Formats: sequence, structure tokens, C-alpha cells
Amino acid sequence: MSAQTGELTDERLIQSTLTGDDEAFAALVVRYKRRILGIAARFTRSEAELDDLCQEIFIKVYRHLAKFRGEAPFEHWLSRIGIRACYDHLRKTRHDRNEMALDDVELACADDVSPKRAREVLDFALAKLSAEERLVITLLELEERTVEEIAELTGWSQSNVKIRAYRARRALRTILETHHER
Amino acid sequence: MNDDQLNNLFAAARKAQPDTKRTQFAFETRLLARLRAERDPGIAWWFWTRRLAPLFAAIVLGLGAWNFVALNEASTDWQSVIAGNHDDNETVALFDGQ
Repeated sequence: MSAQTGELTDERLIQSTLTGDDEAFAALVVRYKRRILGIAARFTRSEAELDDLCQEIFIKVYRHLAKFRGEAPFEHWLSRIGIRACYDHLRKTRHDRNEMALDDVELACADDVSPKRAREVLDFALAKLSAEERLVITLLELEERTVEEIAELTGWSQSNVKIRAYRARRALRTILETHHER
Repeated sequence: MNDDQLNNLFAAARKAQPDTKRTQFAFETRLLARLRAERDPGIAWWFWTRRLAPLFAAIVLGLGAWNFVALNEASTDWQSVIAGNHDDNETVALFDGQ
């Protein structure tokens, strides 16, 4: 990747990509891959799955690049495509996720739970939510997005986002309590 | 589990950011290779031919081996082969060219 493409604005890189410059698109990908991979990693279980999902996201971006009007920053547009692709992925793979196992949920309820353990426990419980609930609660609590941002990213109304967040929290408490009692 | 406990769980999990360094490595290279393969049917055709060639070769070899074994098991007594499926009159007629 040349130093020159690293200095260009998103708009310049987009224009170059649309004229057939693959290096310009590669520069865009390098600029945003960490962000997209970081979000998508919350919804995948392996590196291969993550790689596939993120490739699909950037391929969609490439195919629809001509539709980007520049009314909002490119990063917002890219994130929207990414989030919706993650949602589609959750819907497609939900039936595979209910077989996750977890021991010792009690340890995770302690105040001094380690970050890694907390994440394992939450991954277990989140896998049992619907795709909509999982997406909303992950963006709200783990990505720390606001309700307004989530509504913008998903295309759902803010009241819909709030209702799904409420249901997700209630379902998570039930799942973790039920597992703890076994 | 109460709300506070769930909030504590989320707060702890937020500190465990997913590690994507390995997937990030050469990600754009893999992506561009895939895009180019999709754009250029010639490349795609060649790509899939190379990948499937060993499979086709294995099928051809398998069929050849099966055919070779089947032929070797066939009887070399031609008269009995021919006569086995015909009555005597038909067999004589066959040898007389009728």
C-alpha cells in the first residue's frame, strides 16, 4: 500500500475506486478493516467465519459504492452495511448457536469476574437470544452505542430498539439464572 | 440475577475486546483476489478448473480401474458367453451368419 493512498481522503479513494483503481479500494479497506472486524467478531465464533463475513461486507461495499452520496461520513455508511450484514449472518446461523455449552455460571455472577470469563458467559447467553435481541444488546452494552445510533445503523425505530433491548436483558437474566440453578 | 449483576457482567466483558489481528493480516489482499476472480470470468474459470482437476482425475482413474477389473473378470470362453444367452438354434444361426 503506497504512502500516497494513505494520505488521500475517503472521497478521493472512492472516486478512484469507481474508475477501476483497485489500489484505492484496498486503501479504503486497510483504513476501516479493523473497525469492521472488531464489530463482526462479536457475532462470529471462528477466524474463518469472521474472515468470510467481513469479506462479504466489503464486497457489498464495493458493489454499492456508486450509491454512496457523501451526505454522511463514509464510515457511517460502511458501518450500516456492516451491521446489517452481521444481522443477516446471525439470522442464518442461529440454529448452529444453541449447542454452546458453559459450566460454572456462578463464577461469572461474582463481582470480580475476569473480562475473558465475562465474555464467555455472555457469549453463551447471547447465543440463545433472537438475532434482533442479540444485535441490539451487543451494540448497546458491548459496543456502547446509543439507541439513536443503533436505530440509524439498523434502520429500526428507536422505540423498536428500546423494546428489543428490554426483552434482551430480561431474556439474558432468565437464561443465566436458569443455567445457574441446574 | 439482578440488573446490577448483569451490568457488572457487561462492564467486565467490555474490557475483553475481540482480538482480530490474525484476520486483519493480509485481509485486503485476500479480498482483492476474490473480487478480481468474481470480475474476471476467465480467472474464475481457471481458478475452479485447477481446484477441481484432482477430483476429476481421481474419478477418471477410478472408472478406469473399475473397468479394467470388470473386463478381467469376464469369461474368455467366447462360445459359452455367446451360447449362454441363446438357445442352440440361435447360436448355430449366429455362427452361420444368418
